[in-house]
Amino acid sequence: MTFFMGIDIGSQNSKGVVINEEAILARYKCSSGINYNSTAGTIKEELFKIKPIADISYTMATGCGADNVFYADEKVYDIKCSARGITYFSDSVRTLIEVGARSTRVIRLSEKGKVINFSMNDRCAAGGGIFLQVIANVLRIDLEGVGRLSLQSKNPITFNTGCAVFGETEAITRVCEGFSKEDILAGAHKALAEKISAMVTKIGLEEKCALAGGGGLDVGLVKSIENKIGTELIVPSQPEYISALGAAIMARQKFMSCQ
Amino acid sequence: MFFVGLDIGSSMTKVVIINEHDEVIVRILGPTGAEHRRLANKVMQDALQLADLTFDKISYVMATGYGRLNVPFADRQMSEITCQAAGVHTIFPGVKTAIDIGGQDAKGLKIDRGRLVDFVMNDKCAAGTGRFLEVLAETLGIRVEDFGNLSLQAKDKVVVNNICTVFARDEITARISEGKPIADVIAGVHDAIAGRVVNMVKRIKIEPEIVFTAGLATNIGVVKAMEQHTGFKVSIPPNPFTTVALGAAVLGKQIVFKSLEKGEPIKRKERSLEEARFFSSGEAK
Repeated sequence: MTFFMGIDIGSQNSKGVVINEEAILARYKCSSGINYNSTAGTIKEELFKIKPIADISYTMATGCGADNVFYADEKVYDIKCSARGITYFSDSVRTLIEVGARSTRVIRLSEKGKVINFSMNDRCAAGGGIFLQVIANVLRIDLEGVGRLSLQSKNPITFNTGCAVFGETEAITRVCEGFSKEDILAGAHKALAEKISAMVTKIGLEEKCALAGGGGLDVGLVKSIENKIGTELIVPSQPEYISALGAAIMARQKFMSCQ
Repeated sequence: MFFVGLDIGSSMTKVVIINEHDEVIVRILGPTGAEHRRLANKVMQDALQLADLTFDKISYVMATGYGRLNVPFADRQMSEITCQAAGVHTIFPGVKTAIDIGGQDAKGLKIDRGRLVDFVMNDKCAAGTGRFLEVLAETLGIRVEDFGNLSLQAKDKVVVNNICTVFARDEITARISEGKPIADVIAGVHDAIAGRVVNMVKRIKIEPEIVFTAGLATNIGVVKAMEQHTGFKVSIPPNPFTTVALGAAVLGKQIVFKSLEKGEPIKRKERSLEEARFFSSGEAK
């Protein structure tokens, strides 16, 4: 039996996946922290605890801390990993939106699942999940509760900024003015969905469209993006693992092709 | 005769009372808070008390700043940019360029003999504003007030590549974990913010004399970095927070003097020092 591992060290959370020739055997997620090297070590240990196996045949690392995965056989670009990961769930996806903590990527896929084009907010955090995080923090709400609350809103507020830093100030002002948590969160979702929708327009929307990354866990964000771009989104189960899973699948392909 | 300039900024409210010789009688600073309409009234009363004046002795009240429309007792409102030009010109008659970095925005003003000629402004992105330093102060666990002196101990400057505050914070966390000295990191941050603002102000062409005002002018590290980036010496007013309020008072005085010269009555609004009710307009629940 041969096993393969994909490690994704993200700006906020790190994810690891172990697969064999057929299935996903183990997943593990933790905060990336400051020291990516030790985070990479922890993920490997924990995965081995979940699935006690003798050896991994091939490991691929991705994400902003890919260089720190000291045991990886190869490093691979995260856009490629996400694209590969989504094909595990559906091979009819042509547009993939991946909402991470810092950056959001919109990827256009070919019929064979190859990356044709992509767009990403790499100079400014507006469009990344952090916008929601800071606002949830102002409202003292766990990120998990954000989506459910937002869906209860009747009158979402309008944010004047997409900047996460100014968004925090604006959210505080709105709280002081007496607006409800629900309306502020729904406003934040609307603002983020607008930014993301602009990125989708740039790349060109082609169905089917999927949403992955940590943002896929937020039902409020999913609904807001669906409303904005006017199409239903495919959201894979445990969407935050998409990139790590893609890395593991690419590790398997690489190993098999060398045999 | 006395003239009041009231500047309601996003984080601070400033009041200056001057006499007919442009001499400052009273100068106060207070936090704006969310209920700035109520505060405008309170700050005004505090200022009058300090000056030992009654409200009917005030010839003109000019309000400015982003909360200027919420001052029920003001005779007139003017933009903070016009007031800033008048204010810095009162202190530095030779000013050609004024640079203002506050908590929420950064502005560059081109001034000719006290008149505003052109301006640039950034209030869309937190990079290049005081918020940038505040966010990094939180990350480093150091008070913003201590940044200036700490940066003077720097032996080297850490280069901050990211423009975005959020990305820059991650970058700085990485540099700290690599073991870079805090002083070098702070010096790098000052350099980054000065570089960004000077780049923006270059669009209106920077000419000396340059006056630097608002919160970041009190930070010696940023002042030095501004001098490096502009290539000129930078003048700092003794009270860099209240130049806009001073300008408002001076502009009010000019209006009164003009009316007196022409022998016309001074155009004033119906003034009341009553407390404005914050949630009366029905815009919020």
